[in-house]
Amino acid sequence: MNANRITENVAGLFPCGKRSEKSAEKVGTHVASDTDPNMRKGWLTFWTIALWLVGGITILIPVYLVVINSFKSKTEAALMNFSLPTKWLFGNYAEMIADGGILTGLKNSVIITVTCVAVIVLFSSQLAFVLQRRKSRLSSALSKIMLLGIIIPVQIIPSVLFSKMLHLTPYVSAIFVLIVANFSIAVFLYTGFLKSIPAELDESAILDGASPLILFFRIIFPLLRPVTMTVIIISFLAIWNDFGNTIYFLNSSANYTITLTIYNFFGDNNSSWQLVFANVVFASLPVVIVFLTLQRNIIAGMTAGSVKG
Amino acid sequence: MDRIKSRTYTYWLAIPGLLLFSVFFLVPAFFGVLLSLTNTIGIDFSKFSFAGLSNYALIFEEPELRVAVFNTFLFAFITTVCKVGFALFLAVILNMKIRGRNALRTIFFLPAVLNSVAVGLIFISMMHPQTGFINRTLRLLGLGFLAKDWLADPHLAIFSVASIEIWRWTGFCMVILLTGLQSIPQDVYEAGDIDGASPWQRFRYITFPLVLPAFNNAFILSLVGGLKVFDLVQCTTQGGPGYATQVFGTLVFSSFSQGRFGEGCAESIALSIVVAIFAIPSYLGIQKKEVET
Repeated sequence: MNANRITENVAGLFPCGKRSEKSAEKVGTHVASDTDPNMRKGWLTFWTIALWLVGGITILIPVYLVVINSFKSKTEAALMNFSLPTKWLFGNYAEMIADGGILTGLKNSVIITVTCVAVIVLFSSQLAFVLQRRKSRLSSALSKIMLLGIIIPVQIIPSVLFSKMLHLTPYVSAIFVLIVANFSIAVFLYTGFLKSIPAELDESAILDGASPLILFFRIIFPLLRPVTMTVIIISFLAIWNDFGNTIYFLNSSANYTITLTIYNFFGDNNSSWQLVFANVVFASLPVVIVFLTLQRNIIAGMTAGSVKG
Repeated sequence: MDRIKSRTYTYWLAIPGLLLFSVFFLVPAFFGVLLSLTNTIGIDFSKFSFAGLSNYALIFEEPELRVAVFNTFLFAFITTVCKVGFALFLAVILNMKIRGRNALRTIFFLPAVLNSVAVGLIFISMMHPQTGFINRTLRLLGLGFLAKDWLADPHLAIFSVASIEIWRWTGFCMVILLTGLQSIPQDVYEAGDIDGASPWQRFRYITFPLVLPAFNNAFILSLVGGLKVFDLVQCTTQGGPGYATQVFGTLVFSSFSQGRFGEGCAESIALSIVVAIFAIPSYLGIQKKEVET
């Protein structure tokens, strides 16, 4: 709808020509006569170089510096310069692993993230299915309440106190809070996608004798696969990288997630940059590897998640 | 029919999700509103007293809290403008046929998947006053007088933290805008070309209006993200030096760590209200658009 209006606008702005059947030809001649193709190419080369420079300086150099300095000795790393280590000290990693509880952190992060993502996918898809299909006043009211969760951040202090009143361990409370913090957006994404699955499908399945549960798990849920991928990606990244919620709950090194271990490791070792860098590299590696292997899905998923929320 | 419907779409399927959301989102939110109206210190609820709106009034009265409010808006404003501005620039260029554009997109997006603590630490080292990359480069270029103690100078620190946030999320905004750009049909440009549109006119009258929905999206996302900022500040400056980089998020955390729960809840709810004021119109807009299409 917008596109059409804009085309008209453009045509209105430059009233000299309406698009004719021979538009392709016209474009060709027009470009050749008006702008020198060499000049266009020159600009492209210019932007290519400029962007590689910008990307290189702002993003690759910091990454390079962190990686390279994680292999240096303490005095060399303190200089934080570009040179390669005089001696590659892979032992920094061993020292960092032995010192900090990073392996515990890794284990905790995996457990928390997997649990949360599984619960989010399962519960939010079911909820969205019911709320989207029933077009009653109650279901639309409930949908609106769910939407609140996208707009309003989790009220973290009362959550902490409330979980204490329920006698939940910090670990379990962190899991619950991370689930609800990322729940609404998942419901929202599922609801949007469910609109594209015709309700006639449900009717025919029910007529064929499928029970409601079979209908959802055997027929609907598999069809939700693309949006399930999106939900998994955005909640995985949000929960794996979470710091703002978990810092309120997890307060001993036994239950730190990987993000909290880096935070506390720096607090304890802020003069040993080689160890700090080794820690950063080690902690970021899982996510970076996942990102580089699945980048198309991840970029698409994160953007889809943002477009709706 | 209605009976079939209520049996097929049974609320039993919805109950686990609703229960979870109510117990861990709605109840704490409600509890938070109550707490914000009390003088609750520590976990001992027997000693609390009703405080009315005094916890909220504090946000406007205490100079330190006022600094935090100002910083939050300043931070949100700077980061939004820069993120979206740089992102638009990058997106327009990366939408052209330049060499290695896929690799470039990946590179620019990379910071968005790193966690904020790692990002914070990378920049603590980059902004190190003596040996950091930034000051080292400045000295190398003969601009040594520009070398500053980026994170410890009270006048600069908030801008330094903002620039880290910009570094982290510009690539993400860029991708949102790129998807918007790629949804523009090629023939609109052809039409523009025939009509002899200059590159600026192409951008101003074709690209920009058509990319506007994606632009709004990136804008509101950045704004809300900026208002809610906590982790990056906590990892780099912890609100310091002094109160120079205190924002809403760090205020809530410091109230919490000092056991001033009532105040913390009031700050947190005040922030939620601010966020809602900016976010609700945009969500209503999105919903309306969905109805139209």
